[in-house]
Amino acid sequence: MTPPELTEEELLQRTGRGDSRAFDQVYDRMAPRIFGLLRQMMHDGREAEDLLQDGFVLLWEKASTFDPDRGKAFPWVVSLFRNKAIDRMRMLGRRNRLMDSEALEQVALPESVHGSSEDEAASERGLVVGEAFGKVPKEQRRLIELAFLKGLTHHVIAESMGIPLETVRTNIRKGLLRLRDVLKGGA
Amino acid sequence: MMDERHEELAALNALGMLENDEKRSLDGGIARDKDLRYLSHEFDEVTAELGYLIAPAEPPANMKKRIRAKMRATGVKGVGISRGVLVGGLGWVLAAAFGLASVWLWKERSKMTQQLAAASSVIAPMAPAVDDGKVRTLAEELKSLRGDFEGKKAELSAEVESLRQRESAARARIEQLTAEADALKQKEAIAQMEIVTLQSSVWEYRKSVAAVVWDKEKHQGILRLEKMPKVEAGMDYQLWVVEPGKKDPVSAGVVQVDEKGFASVPFKPAREVGGAEKFSLSVEKKGGVEKSVGEIVFSSP
Repeated sequence: MTPPELTEEELLQRTGRGDSRAFDQVYDRMAPRIFGLLRQMMHDGREAEDLLQDGFVLLWEKASTFDPDRGKAFPWVVSLFRNKAIDRMRMLGRRNRLMDSEALEQVALPESVHGSSEDEAASERGLVVGEAFGKVPKEQRRLIELAFLKGLTHHVIAESMGIPLETVRTNIRKGLLRLRDVLKGGA
Repeated sequence: MMDERHEELAALNALGMLENDEKRSLDGGIARDKDLRYLSHEFDEVTAELGYLIAPAEPPANMKKRIRAKMRATGVKGVGISRGVLVGGLGWVLAAAFGLASVWLWKERSKMTQQLAAASSVIAPMAPAVDDGKVRTLAEELKSLRGDFEGKKAELSAEVESLRQRESAARARIEQLTAEADALKQKEAIAQMEIVTLQSSVWEYRKSVAAVVWDKEKHQGILRLEKMPKVEAGMDYQLWVVEPGKKDPVSAGVVQVDEKGFASVPFKPAREVGGAEKFSLSVEKKGGVEKSVGEIVFSSP
């Protein structure tokens, strides 16, 4: 009889207790999505690899602080890696400038969700999030994508897109509130 | 009460966009306002969930190894610690196993030393030309390999030392057992011995002592004489073994005493004798005779 597959939350908790096999499974399930995010953020494959490596070392050390009552495992891991990537960008001085002029055009979260049959729960959640994100007005969605995928400050985004800083701030706030409401079951 | 400005800060913070002053301002607001704290957490969750929409990219095939190497290099505990070599069973078997392990270890050490030297010689001139990250990764992997090797070496050395101590203890025990076995053998040998004091009815031998220590198992013995009178010229004392039921005794050899009439000599009958023997000592022609014809001066009681 095949044992029931553990959830990402269970695997992360086990990792926190020092279970290296659970750590391997966390890596197998999450590394491709995390690596995709890091490549988008860093715009440099080598930097993304280094961050993936360092980030999983950090995950092993921090996994014991994960609390499933406060949130899901994958978003927790995403936050951990994004924070690390932003720190790295700050250190490299990339935080306040765009890497190249075409970068803004290329930045977008995919409309369809990428997943695999082994990753059913993540795929399902991705569909829900994708659908909810689609309900966020386009101009707000665009700013959130830029901030999420590029780790840029609102000052740089405003300057790069030629829009007022206040508009950037307001649209991001409204966009996230909308996304939250839709994910909570609102229209 | 939460205002739009703090909502904005919470939203921007969830996306990692805040720096310095704005971040401090938000932190102050969160500390004072639990609604803001709750909203900030919600924004963090919602933002992180966008990760589900990321297009996956296949990480390098060796990434797991790199992660473990990094953990070892930075001293992170818990992942990938080898359990080492399991030991058990008899000391001799382990000693042999660790003898082989030592040979293997020596060979591995030589191989790894060569590899490290070769890698170092390759990396050194390349360093300025290649990406810093690559050099750093290679150096970390080399460092972790060295760490692994040193760890295994120390582990095996400790085990070999432990086996040496056990081997010494085993040797001491064997020596002790051998000594005990020798003592037992000696006891057993003594148990096979019979001491017979011969008696004399001849006046000249009234102060003399004649005793035989006889080994019943090996059919041989020791004759001890004290204060024996000198025999006449051309004569010798001769010892005889008397077999039960046999008419003629068997010669056990000629005995010569020193000036004080003392002798202690081992003897063995001229042929095999059986049963519980008696002994006699007679004075015979010098060099001894086949059949006793002379005076018997001592005999078993």
